[in-house]
Formats: sequence, C-alpha cells, structure tokens
Amino acid sequence: MKRCLPLAAVIVLTALLPLLLDPRGYWIRVLTITLLFAAMAQAWNIVGGLANQTSLGHAAFFGIGAYTSTVLLLKFGISPWLGMVAGGVLGGLAAFVIAIPTMRLQGHYFALATLAFGEVMRVIANVWTSLTGGPSGLSVPFVPPSFAAYSFKLLRPHAWIALVALVIVTAIFEAIRRGAMGYRLRAIKQNAAAAEVIGVDTTRVKLQAAVISGALIAMLGTLYAQVAVFFDPDTVFSIAGISIRIALIAIIGGVGTAAGPILGAFFIIPLEEIMNDLLSSRAAGLSQLVFGIILISVILWQPRGFITVFGSLRARLSRTVSP
Amino acid sequence: MSNNKSLGLAHLNRRAMLSGTAAALAAPYIVASARAEAPPVNVGVILPLSGPNAQFGINSRNGIELIADEINTAGGIAELGGAKINLVMADATSTPTTAGTVAQRLITQQDMTAVLGAFASSLTIAISEVTERRDIPLLTMSFADQITGRGFKNIFQVVAKASVIGKAQFEYTAAIAQAAGAKIEKIAIMYEDTAYGTAQANGLRAGAKAANVEVVMDDAYPLGITDTTPLINKLRGSGAQAVFPVSYLNDSLLIIRTMRQQKLTIPAIGGAAGYVIPDFEKGLGEFAENVLSIDTSNYDLAPELTERFRKRFGYFMVHEALEHAVCLEVLVQAIKKAKSAKAEAVTAALRGAKFTGGWINGMTGGAVAFDQTGLNVLSVPLMVQWRGKDIVTVWPKDIAKSAPVWRS
Amino acid sequence: MSFLQAILDGLLIGGVYAVISIGLTLVYGVMGIVNFAQAEFLTIGMFVAWFAWAFLGLDPVLAAPLSFAVAFAIGWVVQGQLIARVLSAPSVAQIFLTVGVLIVIENGSLLLFGSQFRSVTTSYQTMSLSLGALFVSVPYLIAFSMSLACGIALWWFMRASWFGRAMRATAQNPSAARLMGIDTELMYKIAFALGVGLTAFGGAVILPYVTVFPGVGGQFVVLMFTVVVLGGLGSVAGAVVGGLAVGVIQALSSLFFPIQLQNLVLFIVFILVLAVRPQGLIGASR
Repeated sequence: MKRCLPLAAVIVLTALLPLLLDPRGYWIRVLTITLLFAAMAQAWNIVGGLANQTSLGHAAFFGIGAYTSTVLLLKFGISPWLGMVAGGVLGGLAAFVIAIPTMRLQGHYFALATLAFGEVMRVIANVWTSLTGGPSGLSVPFVPPSFAAYSFKLLRPHAWIALVALVIVTAIFEAIRRGAMGYRLRAIKQNAAAAEVIGVDTTRVKLQAAVISGALIAMLGTLYAQVAVFFDPDTVFSIAGISIRIALIAIIGGVGTAAGPILGAFFIIPLEEIMNDLLSSRAAGLSQLVFGIILISVILWQPRGFITVFGSLRARLSRTVSP
Repeated sequence: MSNNKSLGLAHLNRRAMLSGTAAALAAPYIVASARAEAPPVNVGVILPLSGPNAQFGINSRNGIELIADEINTAGGIAELGGAKINLVMADATSTPTTAGTVAQRLITQQDMTAVLGAFASSLTIAISEVTERRDIPLLTMSFADQITGRGFKNIFQVVAKASVIGKAQFEYTAAIAQAAGAKIEKIAIMYEDTAYGTAQANGLRAGAKAANVEVVMDDAYPLGITDTTPLINKLRGSGAQAVFPVSYLNDSLLIIRTMRQQKLTIPAIGGAAGYVIPDFEKGLGEFAENVLSIDTSNYDLAPELTERFRKRFGYFMVHEALEHAVCLEVLVQAIKKAKSAKAEAVTAALRGAKFTGGWINGMTGGAVAFDQTGLNVLSVPLMVQWRGKDIVTVWPKDIAKSAPVWRS
Repeated sequence: MSFLQAILDGLLIGGVYAVISIGLTLVYGVMGIVNFAQAEFLTIGMFVAWFAWAFLGLDPVLAAPLSFAVAFAIGWVVQGQLIARVLSAPSVAQIFLTVGVLIVIENGSLLLFGSQFRSVTTSYQTMSLSLGALFVSVPYLIAFSMSLACGIALWWFMRASWFGRAMRATAQNPSAARLMGIDTELMYKIAFALGVGLTAFGGAVILPYVTVFPGVGGQFVVLMFTVVVLGGLGSVAGAVVGGLAVGVIQALSSLFFPIQLQNLVLFIVFILVLAVRPQGLIGASR
C-alpha cells in the first residue's frame, strides 16, 4: 500500500497536467502523444521485455487498429470505441498469424521477420485502395463532439484517455510480470529447453504474450487515429516512426520494467519536439542530427536504460539510510 | 569573502556585463517605442526540410524567401504601416503527424496570420486539420483531390487538382500528337504508389477512357524502387505508343535510361515532380532533350520575375518555388485588401476572391480565383518540354512559348 | 523468353545486392552486432564516388576503392569510439546505438551536402548488350562484375590471409582467439571497417544507375537485411546466395504479380523460408 502512494500521486499529478496547459495548445498535444507512445511501448514491452523477443514489426498491429476503427467509422458509422474493440481483435489475430512462423526464430532473425511482416501490412494497406484509401490515406470524419462518438472539441479529453490507456496497459504488464505467465516467460528467457522440461508450454505462453501485446497496441492505434485525425499507410505502418521508435523508447527507459517505457517516452518525445523547435529552422537535418548524438550519448552512458539510474539511486539512498 | 581587490575587476566586469545586457535587451523596445514600428506579420512556413522531399521543401522555401525579401526591402506592407513579413520556418519532416504538431506549435507560439506549406499532400492535409480547427488560412500548392474536397473553409490551393492534372497529361499529349499527324491508340501508365502518383494516374486513366484509348499497361511500382528493368520489359512487350510515367527523380532517370538501353524510343510524357527539375537534365544530358512533361506552372510564363530566382539561387525557378511565391503574393494582397493581419480577416478576404498582379503573372490565366472550396479555378495544367537546360511551355497553344516537338 | 530475361536481370542485380550486404553479415559474424547504420555507409560510398566523378572526372566504378577507403576509415573510428563501448551491453542497446549512428550519418550528410539529388552520367549508362533476344544492361553487368571481383577478393582474404583467418577465429571463439595471441579488439575494428567499406564499395558501383541523396541508404536498409537474414546471418556465402535469391525473386514476381507487390512477395517468401529454416538458407556458426 505504501509503495502505491507515490505511484498514485504521479498518476493524479499527470491527470491534473492537462488542466494547466492551454487546451488548444501545443504542449497538451505533445503530452497526449507522449502518453500514447508510452502506452504503445509498454504494450511492446510485453513481448520485447518479458518474452525477450525484440519485435520490430509492431507497427503492423498498430496500423491494423487505426485502419479498422477508421474504416468502420467511415463505411458504417460505427463508433470508434467499438471500432477499437474490433481493431483489438484483428490485431490479436494478426499477432497470432505472425507468431506461428516466427516461433522458432532466435533474436535477430525474429526481429527481421517481424519487420518484414510490418512491411507486408504496409504494402497491403497501400495497395488495397478500395478498403483503406490507399496511399492517399484516411481522414477521420468530423462528427459533432460527444464521448460516445469519441469526438472532442479540445485536446484535453484525448490526453486523459491516453493517460487511462497507459495506466491500463501498465497494469496488464505488471499483472503478467508478477503472475504465472511472467514466471513462465522468465523461465523461457533463461533457458527455453529447461523450461520445456519442467512443463512450460513455451509455444502457448509465447503466443499468449504475442496476442495480448498485438491486441493492446492495435487498440492504441484507434486512439492515435482519433488524435491525429489523418494518417496514411506510411505513417501508421512506419518502421522508423512506429516499430523502431517504440522499441527504442522501451529500451532507453529500461526494457522489461514497468517504468521503462514511461521514462523513455517522457525523455524521447519531448526531446524530439524541443530539438525540432529550436533547430529545425536553422539548418535542414540539424535537429535530427543533435537528437541522434544525444541518443548515442544516452546509450553509451546507460546501456541498460534510465531505470538503472533509479536503481542505483535507490541502492545508494537505502545505503545511507540503513546504519 | 575573498579579497576585495582581486574581485574588483571581475566585479566591475560583471556589473558592466549585466547592465550591458540589460541595455541590449531593452534597446529594441526603446527604439521601437521611439519609432512606433508596425508589428511584423507572422507567416508560418512549414515544409519538408529533411527526409526524401527535402530538396522540394528547400526549393519552395527559396521561392518564399525571395518574395518576402523583396517585399520587406521595398518597405513592407504599406497598408499596415510598413509592417514587415516575418517568415516563421519549421521542418515538417516526412511524417504527417509531426507536421500537424509543428503547425500546432507555430500557431500557439505566436500570432499567426497564415500558414504556407507543405509540398507533399499528406503533410498539407495533416496541417490543414490543425489550421482549420484554429481558423487560420493555409495556402498550398499541393494538389491531392482531398485537399479541397473536405468542405474546409480555411484552405486555399493555387493549382489545379491531381485528377485534372492527370487528365490533362493525357489530353494534351493526344492533342500534340494529333497536331503532328500521329494518332495514339495504345498507351502505358506507370506510377509511383504514393498519393501523388496514384492520384495523377487516376486522372490519366479517366482521360484515356474518355478518348477511347486503350491502356495496355497500367502499373504502380513501389516508391524507392531500385531496379526498373521489369517495368521496361513489360512496357516493351505491351506495344504502347506512348508511356506516361509519374515519378520522382531517381525513378524518372532509371526509366528513361532503361528505355534507352532497351532501344525503346516511344515518347515519354512525365507527370511533373522528377521530370521538371534541373537534376533531370543534369542526369540525362542529351537524353533529356524533347522529353515532355505535364506541369502546374512554369517559369517562362513570367520570365521577368522568375529570372530573379535564377540569379539568386543559381537554378531555374522550379514550379514549387514559383507556386509558393504565388501563395505568399496572394496572401499579401489579401492582407492589403483586408487592411489587417488578423487570420479571420485575411481568410474572409481570400475566400471566393480573385487576385492579379505581381508574381501571380506566373500562373496560367495571369490571375488566381478561389472558389468556395478553396480551389483556384483559373489554374490550368500546362505541358512543358525540355530544350537544352530549360523547360519550355509548349501547350495549350494560347500560352505556349514554342511549338511542341513530337518524336514518335 | 521473358522468364529467362527476368532470371538474367535478377541475377545481375542480385550480385549487387550481395556485395552491398556482405559487409553487414561480416560485421555480425565477427562481432555479433546487427549494424543498422550499415546502409548509411552505402550513402557515404555513393557520395565519395560522386564527388570523385564531379571533381576528378573518375568513373564511379574506378572510384569504388576510394569509397572503400573512406568508409573503412570512418568505420574504424566509429567502431573504436562507439561500438567497442557497448560490446558487453545487451544486444538491444547495441542495435539502438547503431540506429543513433544511422540518424547522425543521414542528417550529417544532409547538413554537409544538402538535399539535392545527384547523379552521374557515364558513357555506358544507356548501353546494353544483346545476348540473342535477351538484353543485358551494361551498367548492371559492370556492377555485377565488380561485385564478383569484390566477392572473390573477400573470399581470398578470409581464407588465405592471416588477418582473414584471425577474424574467423575471433568469430568462432573470442576467448580462444585471445589465447592464441590474436588481438581481438583489432580484429573487431578490422571486421567493422572492412564490412562498412564493402558496402561503400557497392554504393560506388551502383552510382551509375542510382541517384544519391542523403536518404538513399534508407531505401536499401530493408533489402540488405532481407538478403543477409535470408542467407543466414554471419555467413558470407549466405549473403551471396541471399542477394542472388532476392534479385531473382523480385524479378520473377513481377512476371506473375503486379510490380507494386514485388516487395510483398519477397517478404512473404522471406518469412516462409525462415519458418522452415530458422537459421536461414545457408546458416552460420553464430
């Protein structure tokens, strides 16, 4: 209970933040996107952190979610909330489909196979114009504001929804990590063969993790569609913009930990924005260059993620407290 | 505290520095209040300055800067007390969502009169979602049909739509061929599978269908394709009499070169983008000669203006630079008409209005007239042809600077 | 006939894919690192060759050794200063360090060289040879021949030279190699520098038909990784087989499917091959 208190405080403070920011402004949009990417990285964390499988194709499920809810809205007028559930189902299904052929793949092979799958989805979305609008992309139609229609005049509700999403995904992550599934995943991570011997159905557990992760990130795709209001295949199925970015966020923060993706998102996204703000008008490419240099420096400094800083801080603090 | 004497000089320097800084910070305010200078007009310019479209973004920026500097040197906007134009530049990057966030940032950070941008239709659409909700006018030369097709009130497009451009690409070709005594019955269409390529291809198809011409090859190819041999193999086998490629630079060079390798000499009529930039001729040399392309505007329509661009930047004024310059010209005229730099007033002055003069002479019809959807109804595509290192307008006849050469 | 033409074109271009990707697999084989920045050295190689053409009048194919040398030098420094520091870190950290290097090189090129597209004009760009009814594109043929020469040179280096054998020893078992007196740090530097140098060499060789701009490497990233993983990470022979396979698959797929789907077909084949052979077509020791 005592450990929950600081966590609850952080959540409450973050929930209050949108009230302080200009509701039609820039920083609230940055906050919303940061929270969203934190949630996405957390969903990835289930597979990338707990199951230790670096997937570079999560954009596939993300894009499926974004397109599902938007197409349902455009063609049938279905509320994005329901569309989100549908997207989650399809995302989970897609995760299942790709998990099967990639089940036996090790490390880098798995990463690249999933990357290939992400590209497959992107090409399909690009080509299947009658369904997805093709390369011209889709605009989420403007409907009168209401909660049921997931349409709001200001950005504040989007920020709160993103926060709630982050809390839920993190809760699911923690539940898995602390529960039986997490135990089995750790066993597989340590030694897959030994895990099989003690009765862990490695295939089933990996599939479960993949499906949960895929379904969650697909649902977050709907949130994204409603915030961004316009997207095309290159955006939501993007290797660099989505797949690599969420993995990077989780890793910078500390992969496999609940706080990792959150720390990573709150570092990377505002940093990119600030760089763009300060430097993009001076010289083309300067803001990204500086970002790249900062990225390299951070990884050299903390290869295991920011969370290690907190770990060592806590260790040092506890050392000073105890006699 | 340490020895006073040793601190003495440092102390003096620090105080001097502080007061100097204070003076420097205050100076503009003091001077300004003395002169009562009009506040600058903030115009947001959001263009892709990095990523694959960087070159086009930078060309566009050059066009805008040319005009802004001319206006500012001439004393700014007289109707607003000599207010200078302040271009607030930002990199849209290549992701629509980032472009939207950038637009949001610009609008929030200062009082924006209008936004210009963003070359690529997907970026423009994302930005327009932001500017529309904030009632800030967005002027653009992107031409995806969707841009003016959403019932937005704050968007103004200075060129014709993609489907119209594609249709003209075909129709003008048929007319040019006919004038040369050739009849086209079979054509090939190949295009990059981007929003730009796909939209123009739609127009091409519509044009061919209306003329009962058979499309014997109709293929999209992935953006960034590194080997066009399969495309040209297919073209060779299709029996097409003319090919309409819609592509950026790398593929345009590949396509023309590969056609040459396979001794394919049918006319190629490009779809703007890669076909109308100086690098096309630099890359192909003699093989660029007489290649036709559709375009949305051309510098030879107003050489007395566009030569200034060539003089300053060293290359001919590419259409995106010209069209962005026209966007700024139209904006300034609207500001003058409204006698205000407030976004709503400017939008009201733009909507459904007609503008002439200045850089607008570089557009077809010598004028820009927006309809209620924000589309410039006077903009007509034109056909250009490479002659040496320049592209020359050859069709429609009433604006052509030279007769077209048709090689069949 | 079109079938034969497709196979021929596929092989020619596959050879080039192979030489571009060999460096990537070499780096992985010796150091265990997946270098995401590898394609950026392609960009570097292309820029070097372009400048050599523009200012020295050198044909890009002749400038290829120069591209190799420049990339070798840059790779040497990058390995020593950056990669070496994360060799003991989790592999994901290593991967993302290289992602950072990718960002730096791409945007550094943008800052240094500007965004414009640059291409070369050579006498043979629009030439082709006739082999019966088949066309053989001369630039592709030259690129393929250079790739072949490069491949043979690398094979000789790895087999016959002391450095090559030392690198293979380091790849097999670093501790044993150290015990044998091999300076593994030096081997890592050489492997990395050699790997990126090879990719840069490939870049110079394809310059006659690819325009260079700061983002050109990015267009080849996915392709390079597909080639290398398909063949088996760490196996040089795998990269060759993978390269040829990718070229042929792309060329053949355009006969039966819309050209727009050529990458889709490639990736599906890729995923299926891995499902059946998780270690890639040739597979490797690591």
